[in-house]
Amino acid sequence: MQRRDAIKGAALGMLAGNAAAQVPTGPFSLPTVTFQKANQHEFPRDAFRIDLVKHYPLVPRPTAIGTWEQLMQGDLRDKAFGPGDSTPIGDSFHGIAREWAETPKHWEDYHCDSTLKGWQAWLDKEAHFGEVERFDSPPAAGQPKIMIPNWGGGNKGLPIKCYKIPMIETYRDLLDLKHPTRFYSYGGRIPGPTLKMRLGQPVVVRFENHLETETSIHLHGGHSPSHSDGFPSFYVLQGKARDYFYPNILPLYLENGKHHVDVGESQSTMWYHDHAMDATAYNASKGLSGFAPCFGERELQLIRDGWLPGLGEKSCFDPEQKGFKLIKDPVTDKMVRDPALEDPHWPGFYKHEYGCEPYYNPYDLPLVLQDRVFDPETGQIAYDNTGHNGYIGHTMVVNGIPYPKCSVERRKYRFRILDGSNARVFRLRIMSAEKFLAANRDGIDVIPLNMSVPAEGPTLPLLQPQTIPPIVDENAPGAIAARPNRYDAASENYLRIGKDSWLWSHAKHMKSLVLMMANRADIVVDFGALTKDMKLAPGETREFYLVNTMPQFDGRGPKQKLDDGGDPRVLPAPFDVVGIQGVPDQRLVEANRPVPLVKFVVTGESVANDAKVVDGTPLMTTHRIIQDHEVKAVREFIFERGKGAWQINGRFYDPTITNAGPILDGAEEWVLRNGGGGWWHPIHIHLESHQLISYEKDFAADAILDRDDPPAPVVLGGLKELLHLIPEPERIGLHDTMALGPNTVTRIRMRHRTWNGPFVFHCHNLEHEDMRMMFNFEPVPEKTTPEDLLPNIVPTARTHGNDVTWNGGFRPNQRVGELPWEYPPIPQTPVTDAGEDLIPPRPRTP
Amino acid sequence: MLNQFFVAWEALCTQVPEPPRLKICDRYANSQLENQFGELIRFRERFIDDGQAIVFNTMYTTCRGTCSGTSATIESLREVLSPVFGTRLSFVSLSIDPIVDNRHKLLRFAKRYGADRPRQGLCDWHFLTGTRAQVTELRRSLGFYDLNPQVDADVTQHASTLMFGNSTNDRWSSMPSELPEEQLVTSIRRVAGYTFEQKYGIRP
Repeated sequence: MQRRDAIKGAALGMLAGNAAAQVPTGPFSLPTVTFQKANQHEFPRDAFRIDLVKHYPLVPRPTAIGTWEQLMQGDLRDKAFGPGDSTPIGDSFHGIAREWAETPKHWEDYHCDSTLKGWQAWLDKEAHFGEVERFDSPPAAGQPKIMIPNWGGGNKGLPIKCYKIPMIETYRDLLDLKHPTRFYSYGGRIPGPTLKMRLGQPVVVRFENHLETETSIHLHGGHSPSHSDGFPSFYVLQGKARDYFYPNILPLYLENGKHHVDVGESQSTMWYHDHAMDATAYNASKGLSGFAPCFGERELQLIRDGWLPGLGEKSCFDPEQKGFKLIKDPVTDKMVRDPALEDPHWPGFYKHEYGCEPYYNPYDLPLVLQDRVFDPETGQIAYDNTGHNGYIGHTMVVNGIPYPKCSVERRKYRFRILDGSNARVFRLRIMSAEKFLAANRDGIDVIPLNMSVPAEGPTLPLLQPQTIPPIVDENAPGAIAARPNRYDAASENYLRIGKDSWLWSHAKHMKSLVLMMANRADIVVDFGALTKDMKLAPGETREFYLVNTMPQFDGRGPKQKLDDGGDPRVLPAPFDVVGIQGVPDQRLVEANRPVPLVKFVVTGESVANDAKVVDGTPLMTTHRIIQDHEVKAVREFIFERGKGAWQINGRFYDPTITNAGPILDGAEEWVLRNGGGGWWHPIHIHLESHQLISYEKDFAADAILDRDDPPAPVVLGGLKELLHLIPEPERIGLHDTMALGPNTVTRIRMRHRTWNGPFVFHCHNLEHEDMRMMFNFEPVPEKTTPEDLLPNIVPTARTHGNDVTWNGGFRPNQRVGELPWEYPPIPQTPVTDAGEDLIPPRPRTP
Repeated sequence: MLNQFFVAWEALCTQVPEPPRLKICDRYANSQLENQFGELIRFRERFIDDGQAIVFNTMYTTCRGTCSGTSATIESLREVLSPVFGTRLSFVSLSIDPIVDNRHKLLRFAKRYGADRPRQGLCDWHFLTGTRAQVTELRRSLGFYDLNPQVDADVTQHASTLMFGNSTNDRWSSMPSELPEEQLVTSIRRVAGYTFEQKYGIRP
């Protein structure tokens, strides 16, 4: 009997007298503690029955669409969030970002007038934030280009869309447990409603908290004002609401004395999730996350022209982009919103079909991967903060469904995969059903290296185990290097087209990828090519599995195998280097038995006009690499464990001070250093993308914690060299969450533009984040006095960390420090400093 | 539109019997311990089962590191939080060096922070000790441990965090005790408070 069958209910477990039923009761007999971590590859026998395609994360219909003037001064003012909510925009308990109605002083650099207010200020911003060329411009050769303003919601741009999303408890029957499982959800949906955004079209979401915990919503990957960025102590309190203003603008850059729109920053796959201080891990484990794909002009162009999977022009169509689709109500004879666009089972959400859902695309599926522990007795999610190491679970949930299947046609599909778990790292592969089932049952070593799937035949017999003897003696010198990678031989190719929120400059063939918490992988899987030369009778299927091969047993991170000490690829290089030509075959740290996540069921005939994207297709080619001369300061941050919690540079997170004050519209280089102990930390920096400069191993780091047992001296395989096998634009890339593996040091560069803070950067292992592995930064305008910019160093930080280094020296143009904040963390709360003389206390707001 | 849905959802929800709660505090150990007054206490029965709020930390009397600072912080938190919580809050300090820290030593340590006898208008503050097995079981069940066994066994590297929450709402959180007192107070009130007013100091 498989362990996971025991989840089906305690009654079954009792009857069978299995091990779980015999564990004595006590604090360590609970499901989060007792699950058999070595058996994580097991899955229930009735898995893969619910179809993801039929449970597409629905897109909510806006509650109002209009210009700023209509929303604030016109007819829409009183009912922007629907007839049941008469509180106008900005009048909610927590208000709206001040940039909604005012112009910050520092935008005078963009030639805005900061004295203007209201609608005049809005039009002023529309005029000075530049324009981008629309994806379908010019309409015909020789005709003028069509431009849309970067800052929408005015007279010329796309109108503002308003949404209202209550955060409520939701119940779901997931695993045939005794009771339905309680979730915290956005608008009753798991994952939350998919907010489809368009660059240049501002969005205001009123998040209303009906939960018993405080929340704060972070749009991950967004370029949003601080008030709407989910700053950890900018809560949405119980029973209250906050109006989140997402302007969906691109930042500006100065070239030849003129500001241009930085279209290389166009986001693609964003998501939103909870970010409340002290409660993030708990709230997220209960289900608070959702997708927010963003459509920029370049991406729409790629979809329209058939490069990326989609319905071409149809997938670029938003029926309610400029206003509601209205029909005449036969009873009252008034114009009302067309109800035909809405899902009859889910009023308030669009029907998932062409003509209803904006940017409808059946070949673009977001997948959020999460792991949970379900208690067989109560059916509830068992959350456990386990010493703040990181919560991992045994049931793999994709889009809120445990072990789903996904029916696909024989063509290219785009999957935007998100690791939405608290602390689990994934290594993702796609394997054919035959190879997967054999490897899952008997281990990867039974798969022959040259096995090919037969071209025909309705069913394939499973492989007999132990048909292949071990290839090499593992103790022989050089044996590891000589050992071929069986996983690579057993898994299928796919195209990777993006990382985190951004598309890559070129599509690239891959066989596996490492996905840390909050990372996204944008991939295109060609089911046509995978089933090439196969003749499928009607109703016949061919199956593939998305699998996880990363062995992980606790929140510290994936387990390293002892024989892999010298392999740089055991470390979480921000890109997986497997499958790239030129890398010698080596054994990787991968679980012997793969864990299934999704079963793809391929049916039908192969299609004729499939998406054109192939290896090397140019996608987003306008990323602007940060040059040396742009860098104004270098800071170093050390992420380590201390005093039972998590620290950066020897300090715990304090929401009331600023730990770094970069110059607005400038760039900085940050050195992120892992403080040792074998922990993995995905570092997420808010506000904007960052670029990778170097990624190196640093075994000295572990001396901090474990002097008695130093790691064996190893000859480094040259992670640098391996990384250089990845095309440079992709390696430097645009990232928003940087994997910081054990014993690694990474240098990143980042611009800080448009919004002044506060913003945070933190470890995205949510338990680490809650236990204070977080720092604030506040971009400050350049025109500040040096006295305002005292360096932020505490004595412990000096011993092994330095926030102000530049090749060991200090240059006059490097200006670091902090300024008073713009917003108090909690209104009327007295604020003091951390007790260090170097840090000036924040003045109280009058 | 979402609003309509919300109303519909609520109507639907009322028909469904409430599934049982699975509480985080279910896993806290019911260790038998002794406090500084010689009173025998079972941890769950005394502090969890009746829906109490607690602020918990680990300490040992011969500590040369953070313990005295943490205890001074708790002394001052006790002054500030007692008017907010009344009798519904208890402070619990668990000795992680129980062989050395018998109840007499704990009483002497508690005296420095005004916890050597019950005080009018102040919440209870218990200093607990017991057998090593009981102490370790409780400490580990509350998350006060390190995955590295060397660090875990070394009392000088113990966590200097405060764990707080209440078992009625089952909200729990931890914070390093060295953070400024205002932040500790706001967080403890927010997480362990029962009512909106207790949490935020304002009426809803």
